[in-house]
Amino acid sequence: MTAFRLENKRLLEVTLQNERVMARAGSMVAYDGQIKFDKSILGGEGLFGALKRRAGGEGMPLMSSSGTGRVYLAENAAEVVVIPLQQERIFIESSSLLAFDDGLRTNTVFAGLRGATSGQGLFTTTLEGYGQVAAISDGTAIQLEVSPHDPLFVDPDAFIGYKGDVRQEFVFDVNWKTFVGQSSGESYQLKFTGQGVVYIQPSERR
Amino acid sequence: MIFNSQTLPANDNVNSYAFCMDVRGEAFIQKGKMIAYYGALRFESVSAGAYDALVRQSFNSPLYANDFVVATGQGKLILGDRGNNIDSYDLEDGNLTVRSANVLGFEPSLVCQESTVPGYLTLLGTGKFLASSNGPVHFIEPPVRVDEDALLGWADMPSPSYRYDYGYMRGMFGMARSFVGGRSSGEEKQLDFTGQGAVLVQSSEMGLVGRSNLDDVIARTSSLQQNELHQLLSVIQQRLQNR
Repeated sequence: MTAFRLENKRLLEVTLQNERVMARAGSMVAYDGQIKFDKSILGGEGLFGALKRRAGGEGMPLMSSSGTGRVYLAENAAEVVVIPLQQERIFIESSSLLAFDDGLRTNTVFAGLRGATSGQGLFTTTLEGYGQVAAISDGTAIQLEVSPHDPLFVDPDAFIGYKGDVRQEFVFDVNWKTFVGQSSGESYQLKFTGQGVVYIQPSERR
Repeated sequence: MIFNSQTLPANDNVNSYAFCMDVRGEAFIQKGKMIAYYGALRFESVSAGAYDALVRQSFNSPLYANDFVVATGQGKLILGDRGNNIDSYDLEDGNLTVRSANVLGFEPSLVCQESTVPGYLTLLGTGKFLASSNGPVHFIEPPVRVDEDALLGWADMPSPSYRYDYGYMRGMFGMARSFVGGRSSGEEKQLDFTGQGAVLVQSSEMGLVGRSNLDDVIARTSSLQQNELHQLLSVIQQRLQNR
């Protein structure tokens, strides 16, 4: 398994020993050793997966880094959060994904009608298996627990991802005033129920 | 650290960039700054008229009525502002003026009024309010001169005045005006604070994007005469052509 380590809050160090890591294209800022960078055309999902991704608007330009050495990854000085997966599945916004272990299985799933309003696409990315995922967060990411008696509401623009047995719904807080242009600005939210952890960033996606 | 509704701090920072409000009743927050919440909360526009009595008591700034919402109910509300630092300020029978785009929220025990300096809001009374800043906030005692882009606000003090560099002034009076403009340092105009109190400065010159400046200009046009409006129109056209 590749070793993910935070060199500092905004820089991820990945140590490779004849291994491969998938990362957001263009996120490499430095490396040493013998490492080869390739554009990953199909995103490790095969032809069907790539087509589904394109159709769903969940674009994710990836590169694969393979070899032996250390790769440093960063994105616009955003903070990096490393999320370990132990035979779990994480749902993550592709715009928040920085890097992930080559051994994880990726997929796209239908995420509901939120895409129409939040501009984040109709699909979301899932990663599953045993390994590590690095996500970027504008400001320090916050982990919030969802439990059956404690549902959580999140602004779609602050949402990074979630893991666990969590159900996601789109909640519209619509009243007649919303239609006459006096919207409260918080008129739709993501509602999470079940049991798990939701990751958010203290920022509205730019 | 995984937070839930019990372990989240009450009226304190979650980290430098996020603040958790323990709402019991009502609170004013800037539109669009809610990032998450637990509990039963509702958000209603200040201008929607649902909280007339509350607005009459604590929201006295029509220019910014569309920028704020009232959060009502019981719950833990997390606020964030584009990854900017967030700090809370406790006022005890005091007054603090803050750039309007940086006011993230305030308790209804405070009164929010428009400052005579365009783009700033003054909070009066006793209570807590939240402000964001690009980088940590520094408190400076007057007399001091501050770059307008780095100014966050000021407390317990009269309004500032502008102070221009002498070289810039001379350029304005002389024929060499355009020449001087060409080699300006970008630091020829500062805000001058005198008296007793504190000046709040952020550690960056990055202004936060807000509609307040434009709103302010638009609001002020209502007091202009017809010939003055025509004059303004020609100035605007000239500005657009020079772009």
